[in-house]
Amino acid sequence: MTSVSRILAVWLTPAVMLAVPAGLAGRGPDGLWLGLVVTLVPLIVLGLGAGRPTAPPGDAFRTGATLFPVVTLLITVGVLLWANIALAGDVAAWLGARRWQGIVVAAAAGWLLTAWRPLRRMTPLLLAVAFVAAAAALLQLAWALGLGPFAVWERVATQPAFRFPPSSPWVTSGRDLGAVRGGRPLVFDEVHRLIAPAGGVLRALTRDGTRLAEIEWALAPGQMVTLRAGDQITPGSALRLRFEADKRVPGAPASGMAWAEGRPRRWLERVGLLVTLLVGAAAVLRAGLTVRLSRDGVGFVAGGLLLAFAWAQAWALYAMIQAPDVLLGGVTLERLIELPAPALFAEPWRRTLQAVLLVAGLAAFLASSLALRERLGALDSTGGGEIGHDPGLWAGLFGGAALASLWPVDPWALSLLALGGAGCALGPAALWPPAQGRTAATAGVVGLIVFASFAAAQLGESSGGRLATAVAYPALVAAPAGFFVLWLGRRARR
Amino acid sequence: MRRVTTRTIGVVLLALLLAGFLLLGALPNQVADIRVAGLALLWWYGGVLAPVLAVLVAIRWLAEPLPTSPPDE
Repeated sequence: MTSVSRILAVWLTPAVMLAVPAGLAGRGPDGLWLGLVVTLVPLIVLGLGAGRPTAPPGDAFRTGATLFPVVTLLITVGVLLWANIALAGDVAAWLGARRWQGIVVAAAAGWLLTAWRPLRRMTPLLLAVAFVAAAAALLQLAWALGLGPFAVWERVATQPAFRFPPSSPWVTSGRDLGAVRGGRPLVFDEVHRLIAPAGGVLRALTRDGTRLAEIEWALAPGQMVTLRAGDQITPGSALRLRFEADKRVPGAPASGMAWAEGRPRRWLERVGLLVTLLVGAAAVLRAGLTVRLSRDGVGFVAGGLLLAFAWAQAWALYAMIQAPDVLLGGVTLERLIELPAPALFAEPWRRTLQAVLLVAGLAAFLASSLALRERLGALDSTGGGEIGHDPGLWAGLFGGAALASLWPVDPWALSLLALGGAGCALGPAALWPPAQGRTAATAGVVGLIVFASFAAAQLGESSGGRLATAVAYPALVAAPAGFFVLWLGRRARR
Repeated sequence: MRRVTTRTIGVVLLALLLAGFLLLGALPNQVADIRVAGLALLWWYGGVLAPVLAVLVAIRWLAEPLPTSPPDE
């Protein structure tokens, strides 16, 4: 049971888990593809060469080459922790607390659990708590709405437009525009009156015929400004704003039908995502390990992945039907931890359900932290798992991740970067084990260099066409490069 | 020639399930958007059919074979 829960917890970190409903709500079929890939890829990786040691012992592997997978996985674990602690900070800020409070709670609890030996076998329990709590919140929501998931899908897909409900916090009390970090432009489709309850400076690009003009308003507390169809709030505006009820949500899909169809379908980007997660799963679930699962074990892993995907789909749908403002400016992960039912439950029931959701998130994070520690410890060549039991090392990892999390980052982008980088360094050798550890290390270094080169291009100006896809998903080029080196190594041995 | 194991079959079937989604999405005349019982075909496939089939494939083909019992002495 431990290895089953370890596989699930390593793979389904909160950032990955929430990226699926965020993708489903924001991008329709593209999010569905993400969910399907997240569900199927671990099974493919477990099936590919299961039972074979992926790191055959050899002289080279016992010495210098051993260090490469350990260091790579250590960095990967650190970045994954960073992504999830940053998510905890985002959640705290979104729910009205201070960002550092969420970071401190997550990092301190994670470190305590990894450092305190009696608590180290709690992964299955924490995972069960996360599943049960998340399912309880979902079932309560479905019961209160009186709609099953299929009926909700149909209702979402036939929405003529996604509009602010009167009970939305964006309508009743207003929210800080700086919290909208989804990346989609806040373009208005109709006349919309905005109120700044605390005042502030609002910048917008307004359209006058074919002419665009940037206008800045210095609003007094409670002052209102009217934007017309085609106007856009300039990115970076940070003031509390109240939107109008029953008006279209800026940045949301044009209609339910447009959301369900999700055109245009970019197949190369879908392949890029698949390759990234495939090699990433190979790295975090297989590299350096011999994974043997019984039929029951495989059933539990597959069943757990299926349940997680079903939850993600249902959660995205209920959020969209009950709180379409989740789509404002693009969906970000932390918004999905908020109970999407501002008017559905009376107090104290609402607070209780919100607390249950937070418990699910924290339990999932702690389970992932423990599982990542065990995963790294299992690589220890001495067999004692010292890497996983060093409190100083783990204090450094959690402390570093917590410090880095003080600056907001996109947890999903960071997770994808970690999985892609680890995948290109360790994935090819894990999926196609070479006879010599030195060949695996060479392939890993080449894969990592190619990955880093393309990933660095993300910081520069965006390029068009297929190169843009390779830059967005560097594993699309780097993983084949690693496999090519492995192939050369095999040919050289013959 | 390498032996085709049951796991190879399982992995190929899982890969085909993934490929099916890309194929369905690429079909002309918006076939993927045809609604059946309220749900679009692509969503039936990607959200219900493929994940459930994947679980069945995994249980049937991906498990470690049971250890053979030693012959009776």
